[in-house]
Amino acid sequence: MTALSMTAEQSQAALATDGDMREKISVRDLNFYYGTFHALRHINLPLFDKRVTAFIGPSGCGKSTLLRILNRIYDLYPNQRAEGEVLLDGENLLSPKQDLNLLRARVGMVFQKPTPFPMSIYDNVAYGIRLYEKLGRAEMDVRVEEALRKTALWGEVKDKLRQSGLSLSGGQQQRLCIARAVAVRPAVLLLDEPTSALDPISTSKIEELVDELKPDYCIAIVTHNMQQAARVSDFTAFMYLGELVEYGATDTIFTAPKEEKTEQYITGRFG
Amino acid sequence: MDMAVKASDISAASPQARTQRRNDFLFRGATLFFALLVLTLLGGVIISLIHGALPALKAFGFGFVGTEIWNPVTEKFGALAPIYGTLVTSAIAMLVGVPVSFGIAIFLTELCPAWAKRPIGIAVELLAGIPSIIYGIWGLFVFAPFLQRTVQPFLINTLGTVPGIGVWFKGPPYGIGVLTAGLILAIMILPFITSITRDVFETMPAMLRESAYGLGATTWEVVRDITIPYTRVGLVGGVMLGLGRALGETMAVTFVIGNSHHIASSLLAPGTTISAAIANEFTEAVGETYTSSLIALGLVLFVITFIVLALAKLMLVRMNRKAGT
Repeated sequence: MTALSMTAEQSQAALATDGDMREKISVRDLNFYYGTFHALRHINLPLFDKRVTAFIGPSGCGKSTLLRILNRIYDLYPNQRAEGEVLLDGENLLSPKQDLNLLRARVGMVFQKPTPFPMSIYDNVAYGIRLYEKLGRAEMDVRVEEALRKTALWGEVKDKLRQSGLSLSGGQQQRLCIARAVAVRPAVLLLDEPTSALDPISTSKIEELVDELKPDYCIAIVTHNMQQAARVSDFTAFMYLGELVEYGATDTIFTAPKEEKTEQYITGRFG
Repeated sequence: MDMAVKASDISAASPQARTQRRNDFLFRGATLFFALLVLTLLGGVIISLIHGALPALKAFGFGFVGTEIWNPVTEKFGALAPIYGTLVTSAIAMLVGVPVSFGIAIFLTELCPAWAKRPIGIAVELLAGIPSIIYGIWGLFVFAPFLQRTVQPFLINTLGTVPGIGVWFKGPPYGIGVLTAGLILAIMILPFITSITRDVFETMPAMLRESAYGLGATTWEVVRDITIPYTRVGLVGGVMLGLGRALGETMAVTFVIGNSHHIASSLLAPGTTISAAIANEFTEAVGETYTSSLIALGLVLFVITFIVLALAKLMLVRMNRKAGT
C-alpha cells in the first residue's frame, strides 16, 4: 500500500506534508453488527505505520468496536460480525481464511483495565513469546528485559521478576500488559482506553510510553479523554453513532475541524 | 438552612438511632446464634460418634484401623477393608470423573455453540438430580452386566497381562466390584464437579480472557495457562465437593460393590466401603461390639473426610504461594 491509495479523503492534506508514511491498515467500507444492531456504518480509514491514530467520540459511538475488529477479538462472541475489508499490509484480515492466532500475535492489544495473568512478572512477559518461539533461557531473559525496558518497567521490577504480576500497582500492571503485548514483537498495537483505570501519574507514564513506542509500531488508541488524544496522536478519527464523522491530522481536528459535530464535541458541547 | 436542621436531628439519643442500634444488636445476635448452632451440631455429632465407638475402640485399640478381619461370629472387627475400599473407589471416581467434568465445563464455557449450551447444561444438572438408589439399581442390573460382558474381559486381556499394574486387572469378571463402584461414583460426582467448574470458569473476567486470546493463544492454551490458574481456588472447591460425595456415597455403592470384607489386589474383585458396610450391616448387627464397630467405622469416615479437607486447604496454600499471591 502506498500513501496514494489512501481511502479517507480528509486525510489527504495531512499526507501531503509527510511523504514517508506507509499505510499499515486500511479500513474499507466496514460495517459491524451486534446481532441485528448496526454498530458501525461504512467506515473508511487508514492507519499509518510509525504513527499514533486516536479514536475519539462519545460513549457508544463505536470506537472500541472498531478497535476490536482490528485483531478480530470480537470473533470470540457469537452474533457479532463484520462486513467490508480491513487490509493489514494488503491482506484482508476479515477473510475467513485468516489464522486468528497469528493475526493476534501481529496485532497486540491492551485493555481498559490492567489484566495481568495469574503468574509471575517474568512469565507474564514471556508467555506470549513462548506461544510462538522456542527460545533458550538466556535468549528469553534478553527478550523479557527488552520488553520491560521498552515499557520503562525494568528498573521497578528487575529485582522481583519472580513475584506475581498481581503484586504490582495498577499503573505498573498496565505497563506490564503493554510489555507483554510488545514482547511478541507485533506490528500493530491497539490500546483500548489504556489509562481509564489509572491515576494521573500512571496515565502520563503510559502516554510517554506511547510516544517512545511510536517509531516501531502502528498504534491505535481509543480514548474518551480529548486532551490525551491531542497529546499522543498524529491522526484523530472522530466517531459518532457508529459513523466516522471526521478523520485527519490531530492538529487540524483540534484547531480547525471541518465538521460542525466535531467542533461541538471537542469544545465539550456534548458527549 | 434546611440541611443544617436535618443534620442536627440525627443525634445518638434520637429514637431512630436507638431503634437502629437495637435492630443491629438483634441482627448480630441472630447471626451469631446460627453460626454457633453449626459448631454445636458438629460437636454433638463428634461426641456421639466417639461415645458410640468407644466399646469397639477399647476392644481393638488402634489395631481396629489396621486389621482386615471382619467376623461377626467371633466378634473380631477391623476396618482396613472398608477403608481400603472407600479410598480406592473414590480414587477411581476422581481419576475418571474430574477430567471428564473439566472437559465438559471447558466445552460449555469456551467452545460450545450458543444453541447447545442450555440443553447440555440442563442435562448435566438433571444428572445431579437422579436419586442414588436409581444409580444403584441401574448399576446392578444394567451397568455391571455390561461391564462384565465387555469392558472387564477387555481389561483382563490387555492391562491384566502388563507386568506391575496387571495385578489390578486379574481374576474373573464379576461385573460388580470395586472398579464398577468407582465408575458409578464417577458418574454421580460428574454433574457436581461440572456445574461448579463451569460456574467458576464463568467468573473469569472477560477482559482477562480476551487479553489471553489477544496475545494469540489457542483455546487450550488459554484454559491451561490462564483460566485454570485464575480459578484454582474454586476448582479445588468443586473437586473436593465431588470427593466428599464419593467418600460418603452409600446406596449406589452398596448395590454394585459386592460387600466383601476382603482386600483383593484386583480392582475387578468385590470389596466394600465404610458407608456400604454400615448401611448393609446395621440392621443385622447384634451385640454391643458389632454395633460399636460400625459406629467406629463412621468415626473413621469422619476422620478421613476431615483429613481430605485439611489436605485440600494445604494444597491451596501451597498453590497460592507458588503463584505468588
